[in-house]
Amino acid sequence: MSAFRRSAWIIAWWSLLVAIAIGISYTVKISGDLRSFMPPAQSDDQKLLMDEIGNGPASQLLLLAIGNGPTESGPQEKLAALSTSLAEKLRNDPNFARVINGENLDVQLDSELLPYRYLLSPTLDSNTFDAPFLHEELQQRMEDLASPAADMLKDILPRDPTLEVLKLAQRWMPAKAPIMRDGVWFSPRGEALLLAQTKAAGFDPGAQTAAIASLDAAFAQLPEVGDAKLTISGPGYFGAKVAATTRSEAEHLSAIGTAGFLLLLIVAYRSGAVIALVGLPLVSGALAGLYAIALAFGEVHGITLAFGITLLGVAQEYPIRVFSHRRSDASTQQSVDAVWPLLRLAVVSACIGYVAFFASGVPGLQQLAVFTITGLLIAGVATRWILPQLLPTRFRDAAALPFIERVRVLIASIPKPRWLPWLLLAIALLALFIAPTPLWQNDLSALTPIAAADLQREGELRDALGAPDIRYLLVLEADSADGVLALSERISPQVEKLISSHAVDDVELPSRYLPSKATQMARQAKLPDRVILSKELDKAMRDLPFQSGVFAPFLDDVEKARALQPLTVEEFEKSPFGARLQAMITRRGQRWFGVATFSGVHDAQALQTLARSAGDVHVLDLKAASESLVAQYRARILQALGIALLLLAAAVAIALRDPRRAWHVIAPMSLATLLVLAVLRVSGVSLSLFHLVAVTLAAGLGLHYALFFERPVDTLAEARRTLHGTLVCVSSAVLVFGLLATSSLPVLRAIGLTVALGVAFHFCLSIQMAQRKDDAR
Amino acid sequence: MHFAKLLREPLTLHGQLDYGGADKLGKRVDSPYKETTTIADGKATIAREGRGTKTFGLDRAPDLQGLLASFSALLSGDAATMDRYYAIDETIDEHHWTLTLRPRSDALAKHLKNVVIDGAANEPRCFTMTQADGDASVMLLGDLATAALPTPVTRASLDDLCHRSAQ
Repeated sequence: MSAFRRSAWIIAWWSLLVAIAIGISYTVKISGDLRSFMPPAQSDDQKLLMDEIGNGPASQLLLLAIGNGPTESGPQEKLAALSTSLAEKLRNDPNFARVINGENLDVQLDSELLPYRYLLSPTLDSNTFDAPFLHEELQQRMEDLASPAADMLKDILPRDPTLEVLKLAQRWMPAKAPIMRDGVWFSPRGEALLLAQTKAAGFDPGAQTAAIASLDAAFAQLPEVGDAKLTISGPGYFGAKVAATTRSEAEHLSAIGTAGFLLLLIVAYRSGAVIALVGLPLVSGALAGLYAIALAFGEVHGITLAFGITLLGVAQEYPIRVFSHRRSDASTQQSVDAVWPLLRLAVVSACIGYVAFFASGVPGLQQLAVFTITGLLIAGVATRWILPQLLPTRFRDAAALPFIERVRVLIASIPKPRWLPWLLLAIALLALFIAPTPLWQNDLSALTPIAAADLQREGELRDALGAPDIRYLLVLEADSADGVLALSERISPQVEKLISSHAVDDVELPSRYLPSKATQMARQAKLPDRVILSKELDKAMRDLPFQSGVFAPFLDDVEKARALQPLTVEEFEKSPFGARLQAMITRRGQRWFGVATFSGVHDAQALQTLARSAGDVHVLDLKAASESLVAQYRARILQALGIALLLLAAAVAIALRDPRRAWHVIAPMSLATLLVLAVLRVSGVSLSLFHLVAVTLAAGLGLHYALFFERPVDTLAEARRTLHGTLVCVSSAVLVFGLLATSSLPVLRAIGLTVALGVAFHFCLSIQMAQRKDDAR
Repeated sequence: MHFAKLLREPLTLHGQLDYGGADKLGKRVDSPYKETTTIADGKATIAREGRGTKTFGLDRAPDLQGLLASFSALLSGDAATMDRYYAIDETIDEHHWTLTLRPRSDALAKHLKNVVIDGAANEPRCFTMTQADGDASVMLLGDLATAALPTPVTRASLDDLCHRSAQ
């Protein structure tokens, strides 16, 4: 093929890949929802947890504060006006389910529901509507009329002289509401406060990023914005911010790494053309893998994609092996044919290993398996059948490089005592045993930390807004919705005790909004009939200056309330306040669950004590529960990895038709993996999912080194080519991942350090243990 | 003195006012019952002996806003601020002056019609706050607080008292 046609083909291939990538970006949905990555929920409790992690109202809340810019100390009315217009705008924004800023928070009971107040309010639990009670109430109403509260009360007084609506309003308000100024919420520092609930799951960084962008744009477009400043906080915001910083730092470091890698290739092969070729198999494989997941699963999880591309990094070695093994005394196809059996073994054994991931049954791992297996196969096929056609005709045989010969002699002269691996094994095991920190890091967020200042601000805003705690939930379980309400009433006194002992600031129980049927009926039974009530009312009004007959609407409502059916959850959910209750009560199968939220948790232990003393109630610790899910997930990965290693060893043994040779390949790879873990553990690192993925990638690369070193070769020249290829692979991996290891973000550092360290160990041990002693000398 | 449509006759209360700056005001009722109202952080808190407290936003209490405005107008002398929130009319004759404050914002005007302050020399004598629905309260200060009330107590007789006293 002429140089011109080759260039044309290379350009065509890249163009095709770009076109496919664009096509995929339109059709494949990349989801950030943690749930699709986790093992399927088993128990009702886990299902509830999955719901709460994803859609729990607490995790969907963004906390907003509008403050004055640094140069201005403008009037509060301006901030209040901004708060009002922003809330107005966001209420029409499809990203948000609910926006509250303190305005219009008066309790709105539909006129139809108004008579129900006598069944909903606890007044009748301890009082009866007799003359002494009514007299006492009316006396207070008279004082109210002379007090500053008069304007607020006088309209409802004729209908509701005992102020049940107000009692309900107080009951339904958060115990700790923000300060009101100019009609909206303010923080103690004088910023206007808002709560915005996103429609998207709190832990879906992609959707949260979109919602936050829309929020920022809405604020910036407010005409009166000036240099006022909007502060956003909350779990969704942190998720989006962490995702953005991680991506930007990873891209930044990868760009430098790629530049270094390409430079290394130019030096190693004295050719610019390889640069255009080296990425083709990997990119083709990655796109094919992505396409395969899209076909098999419909959507791709963001974490799967990140892990999958990392694992697919082994495919970067395929073209390098082809470049390094070109012989000056043979055609390109012949030299490729010579290394192909080994490359094929590497590809196939890795694919067999990943089958174990597919068998795990965890959707995230299955996606990972589909992606990696497809990617490796396509990269292999591209390397074997397409790449050789496109190689430049002019090249330099790596065997002719004097430098490589010097390195080969140096390596050959290193003593390789048989006892060394055993000593290393003993040291590694000892190190793993004495390591000072816990073996596993289950808190994934520890690897993507949030700045202390941001966390402190979040705490301040959460406190000022009285927003619910995102970690603890109280779960009530019963066999009907009414059962949940009854249970909620039963534990209410204990909950009150928690609040009065300052273990928590507030607990929002379902029965705060709607009493059980039994309670409603008990209250109803205490309502007197019209004749008795009007007689008692007349007696109560005798020495008070109220206009006679002014309370007729009160008599009417009590009369109505006496004939009502108790209000059910379904009925109540239709009212404006019903949405709150709806979010708190859910049905799963035959059981009903109520979820109560806490705000300001000061003593988590006291919550557990409460849950233990009341049956059918337990505290759901979202952090602990999600950590246990991670642990469960990790156990599945470890299991899959164990099976993968066995499958891989079997594949290598069968292909090499010699268990001893298989041992020479598998042993250095396993020992190097153990050594990496030992070094990490001794330096105090607790292992996470990210370390496991990195260790797996390093092991995949190590497999290549061992396979190639172990390969029987006839000539010194071929040994030099093997060494050249391996050196290019090792130095490029150390370069790219070493750069990641310098990152300030723990998650990138974990991956970078582990792979770089792993590659170095795998290389050294492959020399020590895999290289054949009878190499042509 | 409070006039309300729901009541057959006006209520007469005795107590003290305590002005502590632009957004701080205390109002104490001593008889016929004890009640203390304080304003802080944009909220009004009403505490009654033996009956706990009620707290609500100041925007719900036009009465208090009117009262606060009157004091600010008289004591702080910050005419510019006053002028932003209220349209002020004044009539002054030899012995007697009257200030009438009308809220400029529609939100407040929906509740508070006006505040009339009657006084003589350096002394305010009467604060009359009339709400949009006609309910009103008249505060008699200084000598008037202990003077004999006209019979019967009506808006007209009190207005008369406020003007007459200055002569």
